[in-house]
Amino acid sequence: MGIKVLGISGSPHRHGNTETLLDRFLEGSHESGADVEKVVLKTLQYSPCRGCNVCHKSGECIVKDDAVILYEKILASDCLAVASPIYTMGITAELKGFIDRQQYLWARKFILKTLYFPDDHIRRHKGIFVSTAGLGWEHVFDGAFPVITALFNTTGFEYYDNIIANDMDRFGGINNHPTALREAYEKGQKVVRVLEKLHAQVPEASVKN
Amino acid sequence: MPIKILAFAGSPRRHGNSETLLDWVLAAMSEDQDTRIEKVALTDADINPCRGCNACETLNRCVQRDGMDIYHDKIIEADCIVLSSPIFCMGLAAQVKALVDRAQVFRSRKYVLRLPVVPPERKGKRLGIFLSTAGQKWDNVFDAAIPSVKCFYHVIDIRDADISYLMINGVDEKGAIEHHPTAMTDATNLGRNIIKELKKRLDV
Repeated sequence: MGIKVLGISGSPHRHGNTETLLDRFLEGSHESGADVEKVVLKTLQYSPCRGCNVCHKSGECIVKDDAVILYEKILASDCLAVASPIYTMGITAELKGFIDRQQYLWARKFILKTLYFPDDHIRRHKGIFVSTAGLGWEHVFDGAFPVITALFNTTGFEYYDNIIANDMDRFGGINNHPTALREAYEKGQKVVRVLEKLHAQVPEASVKN
Repeated sequence: MPIKILAFAGSPRRHGNSETLLDWVLAAMSEDQDTRIEKVALTDADINPCRGCNACETLNRCVQRDGMDIYHDKIIEADCIVLSSPIFCMGLAAQVKALVDRAQVFRSRKYVLRLPVVPPERKGKRLGIFLSTAGQKWDNVFDAAIPSVKCFYHVIDIRDADISYLMINGVDEKGAIEHHPTAMTDATNLGRNIIKELKKRLDV
């Protein structure tokens, strides 16, 4: 069975800088033999978290929409590449709206204790953040990282790498960036090789301690 | 002239911890008869996310017709803008992020079109308040939200130095903030101090 790579594009702007960068990453993964799927949040129907905390008791979200289906897909993937441009020093409201919906998984992990990812599982599941920003500031991604970390932690992925490019306004778009697209493609290839190697090993989790 | 306060309750959970904190601040503000307070629950405000189309860079307005049509004007008219948000997944609630991102029209006005956001005589007189609560006890739990908040106030012509913060961590279940040792007192003092400062600035 091939390595499953899921790309989620959180940009409202179709085929812009961030989605293009994600596409290159996914092309690299596909070239290395992975099963690749891309989901564009903008095309899904889901509402933000209501903060009702019903999931704290049931472990299920009461809102039945595309967000829950996408979380099931995330949990069945080996590599998750989540992409968002930086808007107002953070990820987009679309992606934040989706990430906030992970509360039911958080509840399973920390309140109900029905969900647990062993270290070996986390090691075999790689999370990658793909982002672009118009501004050239070094710290322009800093507001996004902790939120992405929360997503990867809750869904059992190791926060493996970033594919980020700032200063888009100066470059005039991702296609004029000297290295980003090539880097994305190469990282797409590489993560599949790393995961294949890990999957060939005997899982440590099968050895009960 | 009344002092205009525009307050956004950002949590999708009505009357939870972050809204209670907001209500305490607003109650203290309303002790002064010169204040006129409007509170908006973002969960009912019909504010869509920014589409990233950049049309506002040429049109000087947003192409979307929704609740933001009303709040755009109110944001300009207010003397003090209060934003409250719970921390979800280490950041602002998505409903709050949508409002903050829709301030893009002000950024375009300020930096692309080079037009004033507020009339010159009101520049430097407006104040901002960011109120937040988080279930986690971590000291860094508000860190990722603050840069977005600063950007929001910056583009609506409220200076960094004119933003006050009251952020309470370790309150999770509904009503938990009622048992916090200092939150209510701090909120009350903050509300009163802001009105005092506004009256000085506005010469009321």
